[in-house]
Amino acid sequence: MSTDNIHPLIGIRHLTESAYVLRMERRGLSFRAGQHILLGKAGSIHNREYSVYSGEKDDFFEVLIREVDEGLVSKQLKKSIPGDQLQLEGPLGFFTIEPELIASAKFLFVATGTGIAPFHSMAGSYPQLNYTLLHGVRCASEAYERSFYAPKRHRLCASAEKTGDFHGRVTDYLRRHPATADMHIYLCGNFDMIKEVFDILEQQGVPSEQVHAEVYF
Amino acid sequence: MGLRHAKTIATRRIHKRLKLMKYHIISLGCQMNQSDTERVKTVLHSMGYSPTDDEHEASILGVIACSVRQKAIDKVYSRIAKWNRLKNRKNLITFVSGCILPSDGEKFLKLFDLVFPMSELPDLPQMVSQYGIVTPSSLQFFSGEIVKPQPVTKDSGAQAGILQPVSIKGMPASLKLNPGVDIDRFWHVDPTYSSDFEAFIPIQNGCDKFCSFCAVPYTRGREVSRPSAEIIGELKQLVENGCKSITLLGQNVNSYGLDKKGQEVSFTELLRLVGQYGDASGHEFWVYFTSPHPRDMTDDVIEVIAQYRCLAKQIHLPVQSGDDHVLLRMNRKHSMEKYRHIMHTIRTLLPDATVFTDIIVGFTGETDEQFENTRKAMEVFKYNMAYIAQYSVRPGAASSRWEDDVPADVKKARYHILSQELLKHSLPFNRQLVGKTVRVLVRGNDRKQGYLSAHTEGRIVVRFAADDNSLIGQFIDLRITSATPLSVEGEMVAVDVEKLI
Ligand SMILES: Cc1cc2nc3c(=O)[nH]c(=O)nc-3n(C[C@H](O)[C@H](O)[C@H](O)COP(=O)(O)OP(=O)(O)OC[C@H]3O[C@@H](n4cnc5c(N)ncnc54)[C@H](O)[C@@H]3O)c2cc1C
Ligand code: SF4
Repeated sequence: MSTDNIHPLIGIRHLTESAYVLRMERRGLSFRAGQHILLGKAGSIHNREYSVYSGEKDDFFEVLIREVDEGLVSKQLKKSIPGDQLQLEGPLGFFTIEPELIASAKFLFVATGTGIAPFHSMAGSYPQLNYTLLHGVRCASEAYERSFYAPKRHRLCASAEKTGDFHGRVTDYLRRHPATADMHIYLCGNFDMIKEVFDILEQQGVPSEQVHAEVYF
Repeated sequence: MGLRHAKTIATRRIHKRLKLMKYHIISLGCQMNQSDTERVKTVLHSMGYSPTDDEHEASILGVIACSVRQKAIDKVYSRIAKWNRLKNRKNLITFVSGCILPSDGEKFLKLFDLVFPMSELPDLPQMVSQYGIVTPSSLQFFSGEIVKPQPVTKDSGAQAGILQPVSIKGMPASLKLNPGVDIDRFWHVDPTYSSDFEAFIPIQNGCDKFCSFCAVPYTRGREVSRPSAEIIGELKQLVENGCKSITLLGQNVNSYGLDKKGQEVSFTELLRLVGQYGDASGHEFWVYFTSPHPRDMTDDVIEVIAQYRCLAKQIHLPVQSGDDHVLLRMNRKHSMEKYRHIMHTIRTLLPDATVFTDIIVGFTGETDEQFENTRKAMEVFKYNMAYIAQYSVRPGAASSRWEDDVPADVKKARYHILSQELLKHSLPFNRQLVGKTVRVLVRGNDRKQGYLSAHTEGRIVVRFAADDNSLIGQFIDLRITSATPLSVEGEMVAVDVEKLI
């Protein structure tokens, strides 16, 4: 078996009962913030897509995963221990920022749940990025590693309790605080949120070529 | 009996047996699988097998599988059940390759003797001999005529003796994360073309797009581009040998070269190389490509098609849905705005081009309004041909996790509405050909007695009265006399001998 795509696990960080971060050896893997990989246990035929969580310049390689009830791979990976061999393929995908826009453009990132992962990577990779991040969760405990982001850039929208910056869903927030046509907007997470935000942005006059989406199917 | 006589009888018996050793192969699914099958045949021929249409006659039985629809997968299971019953009566070997999902691959391991990804095809002779099956070539070996089975590649000499891991009993590479990694070795196998005048050239394998309705990225692995020098070499050889219609094949032809990160030409440049050769060669031929993905389709591809004579003015541009929400759910990663832009460029730069498309109706969650957007898109884009599929769950694809919630009768109704829409636009296009003289490539006998079938550069089907089969495989001029929505009829243009002189 080729070992080119084998990345030993360095550590696992449990953020909540179900969410965890896997840190792996990077082994020279190059990627662009926003891309995803296919990840599975070495030798297993099962793998799934996961956005890269770590930054482009980090020495290690991370993904943020939420264990899904009845889920196969998200459960398997949660049981990993340091030293385990993980097999990954990629990087894949086009959910990235054009290099020439990094320094100049205004970004709005909208995420639900672990959909925050690519934005963690972008924020970590491009310190000068001018962005606002809306993170939709049920309760504040799901605000994965919030302290990583500058407080003025991060809006926690909690739908089930009044613990966030905003009580309601990201779509409610957007209706109250409309996006502007000069923004480059990146959406990541479940399909229903993305579909609804698309409609809201259309009504708010944001050109469709400035809206990018990564759907976690 | 003298020793010499005994040897002659033994040799005769061997030759008789050799003649009996046949293979039967079933190729399911798309053009990519048909093209791959041409290479599988080469390897089987090199092992001394000859083809048969009768599976009862064969000693090696294979399927090139397709995982696009459940129906195709079911076919593999029903075939192997039958073949395994035949095994009770006969010594035979079964194999499966092609597009196989990991979950099916696990089951196939228990049902087939050999399960291997296409990238391991050159090792088939070794796999068969390791399996303990007597092959024609091994029989010849025992009779002292031929050497041991070797991997079949153009550079077989260099490979001799290096035994690649075989897929028997162990985990086949098709079940590993990237079945496309060693595809270069597969491309080194010469194809056994199934036609003298039409051919496929694979230029790329795999797909990185992950459309939610499609399992190809999981069965064929990542995009790998074939070296352009090899592609142009194969193209030149085909053209020199009289081939008239060549289709460059890949899951995503217009991301050709991107995986090589600057070490390979782009798809536009590949087409330019083809075009330049076409101009210089003095041969008449048409080159098509399929399938492009709207996301990667750039204006310069269309510009280069407009520039060179041999690049056929026919574009297959899958739209799948005319609604942005559905495209999002399909994970097509482009908007209708982008698609409209490409169509505008095509209509501007290639005014005579025909455009074909693929559409899925009744995709999970598709509302009446969203479907109506697809119908409107057909009205605007006026396709010459649309391959319309009623959505069905495709195992292994992301959308298989969602409820298939559009009722069958609604899908059927939508399918009929789009079929009618197609005819509304294809008929006027075909009608405007009436009275014109068009260049066609004669492809074979038509279903109608006494007629031959041809197609135009734009792949419009033309039938014409003729009983001269020597025209098959030739370019000729036809005057179009009548039109129907999906084909036209023509008559041969009398050759003006004086003009020719
Ligand atoms: C491009 C892309 C990037 C992704 N990135 C991430 C990421 O960074 N972090 C992350 O945690 N996940 C991510 N996902 C989702 C991930 O790939 C898996 O789908 C998820 O981990 C479930 O896999 P599983 O094998 O555990 O569940 P499966 O065995 O595939 O599914 C078991 C059951 O759970 C349901 N299910 C599957 N996925 C979900 C889900 N997300 N929520 C609720 N129910 C579900 C299925 O319908 C099924 O009934 C991404 C998906 C895509 C397409
Ligand atoms: S582009 Fe989409 S439809 Fe085509 S092979 Fe790739 S995933 Fe399948």
